[in-house]
Amino acid sequence: MEQMDIVKHTDKINELLARYGVKFGIYKNNVFKEQLFPFDSIPRIIGHEEFSYLEKGLKQRVMALNLFLKDIYSKKQIVKDGIVPEDFIFASSGYMAECEGVVPPKDIYSHISGIDLVKGKDDNWYILEDNLRVPSGASYPMIARDLCRRSSPDTFQNYRLEDNRNYASLLRRAMDYVNPGGHTVILTPGRYNAAYFEHSYLAEKTGAHLATGSELMVENDTLYYISSDGTRERVGAVYRRISDEYLDPMNFNPESLIGIPHIYEVFRKGNVALMNAPGNGVADDKGIYYFVPKMIKYYLDEEPILSNAPTYLPFYEEDIQYVLAHFDDLVLKDVAEAGGYGVVFGSSMTKQQKQDFISLLQREPRRFIAQEVIDFQDLDIVDNGEIVPRKADLRAFVVMAEEPLVWKSGLTRFSRNTDSFIVNSSQGGGFKDTWVLYQ
Amino acid sequence: MAVLHFEYKMEIKYEEYAGKCYFTIKCIPKEDARQHLLGLKLSVLPETAYSWGEDSFGNRQVYGCETEPHNQFVFQAAGDVEILQTDYEEEAREETTGIFCVPHGKCVPGPGLSEYYRSQDFSKCKSHYETCMALMHRLHQDFSYVPGATQVGTTADEAWEMGRGVCQDYTHIYITLLRMAGIPARYVCGLIIGEGASHAWAEALCGSHWVAFDPTNDCLVLDHYIKLGHGRDAADCAINRGLMWNGGAQSQTVSVLVEKRE
Repeated sequence: MEQMDIVKHTDKINELLARYGVKFGIYKNNVFKEQLFPFDSIPRIIGHEEFSYLEKGLKQRVMALNLFLKDIYSKKQIVKDGIVPEDFIFASSGYMAECEGVVPPKDIYSHISGIDLVKGKDDNWYILEDNLRVPSGASYPMIARDLCRRSSPDTFQNYRLEDNRNYASLLRRAMDYVNPGGHTVILTPGRYNAAYFEHSYLAEKTGAHLATGSELMVENDTLYYISSDGTRERVGAVYRRISDEYLDPMNFNPESLIGIPHIYEVFRKGNVALMNAPGNGVADDKGIYYFVPKMIKYYLDEEPILSNAPTYLPFYEEDIQYVLAHFDDLVLKDVAEAGGYGVVFGSSMTKQQKQDFISLLQREPRRFIAQEVIDFQDLDIVDNGEIVPRKADLRAFVVMAEEPLVWKSGLTRFSRNTDSFIVNSSQGGGFKDTWVLYQ
Repeated sequence: MAVLHFEYKMEIKYEEYAGKCYFTIKCIPKEDARQHLLGLKLSVLPETAYSWGEDSFGNRQVYGCETEPHNQFVFQAAGDVEILQTDYEEEAREETTGIFCVPHGKCVPGPGLSEYYRSQDFSKCKSHYETCMALMHRLHQDFSYVPGATQVGTTADEAWEMGRGVCQDYTHIYITLLRMAGIPARYVCGLIIGEGASHAWAEALCGSHWVAFDPTNDCLVLDHYIKLGHGRDAADCAINRGLMWNGGAQSQTVSVLVEKRE
């Protein structure tokens, strides 16, 4: 491919990104460190037809996941019908008893879903995981696109690509759809959160108030925003960027200083929409991932359009036999971990490690899943002036309003090490813009 | 069956003035097939607006926030409860009982408790009910009632290692063991005649009935018990949960009166 003009501007764009505060904050050994999230300006380009296929598959998946969440926190028909074993629900760390019987506005649980996919060398797309709690990352391709357009307007004349700067309006649509009355706020833990840039950027772009817990209060089963002059205004929707356990010290972790006491009671009474709904962790658990294709059949009576990576559950006797027999070909994941942690490759273990791991696996089979290692396609990146191939994935965003809306872009993350398959940003990877062509 | 009159009073005194205090109180007797609430009077001091609600286990709750500076907080509830039956079939709130089968919170067995469970012989028990009875008798022999040995945060496992505790610990250990035996079991918080404080016991699903066992007193729960709430462990149905700003050291006193109405 002929080198795009945009590539010449990489350094300048990275400089601008740094100036805008596009950084990733990471806590390591209790020290807060911010690191840049390196941008590579060669975009991932997805053709119109290919994306239409992804779009259909993503909508289907998110529809089924929402129905699953509604079912799990009410009738649990899928458990009674024997599709998902009870163990995988109640023993999941993402299951929250507090959500039983609580119906979120318009029955929507996952308003913003971040679905991670990879494209295999066989040209098939595979779903790696669903993120239904607080998926982050949409702001990075948004701002990168904006800066790229300014640095190299010509590039954008020559390609017929979908504008991705509409993410804010999709988000706004989802917020307004579930809002029972009042303002919309984005609730941030504050300046020292890894994704603070994103919180402030999305607030600016959607016109929502950016608020910390101390600027919100509950009275009479109503949530209020207290503005700087002390006036109180009702809040109807909270796009909360803090996790379930910190949301309400009166219902969840009592030590939380970033939450709002009794906000969960307001939610219970239907007076505020929490986006995403609490309790979603039960559906994006790595163990539940195995059951998503079954869910699609069960709830929608459709064949899954997008495939999972072939996955085994050591919980099932025949699966654990397979895992033991093919240990070196598999990647093992701890279902409770996220962010690229708790992932080990069978082939990279020493004999002793392998023995220890297998006995752990036999002791706690529910805790792990095993997957075939997908040999996914490389994307070109510029590294020290040279074009080199690197492993990359795609986080697609599905926003739920009256219907699921797939953002025609996405966050493409790549690994900066030659051999690594782990592209997670908390592990030092970089990102690309994702272009979707409209023809 | 009996009609019981109850009075519950919780008083918190602060060393200094507290600026703001959030509270969630679950001390309203449950309305279900077991018991019926005949009358209820609530009072909060300082006078504060509060809301009514229900948690996900169907426990009634009263919650609010006192925003004026105050150095004491008093909550009182009084009323009459008619006990309709002791074992009962509950209207299915939880669509499956799986939630009361898995280890959770303070009821996760460690090596000691697991060993104790394995040492049990259930071969003579022909039903869940008999297993519950046998385990209750054993536990009553093997664990000692010693107030002050444990705290609110003590887990079933920690209490077991110490070998002594109070009703909360008996109940945590008991339901942990029942769940290991595959019997759905839940923690119950309530009031009984003659206790002077709140009490805890367990309910286990025996066939289609929830049957209530009091492992602390080694007996079945009869009509002199008032049930306030239930959950997976004590934290799910804690009577009082609070969060305050300032106030310094605090002391809490609880008094409970339960008596039979003639």
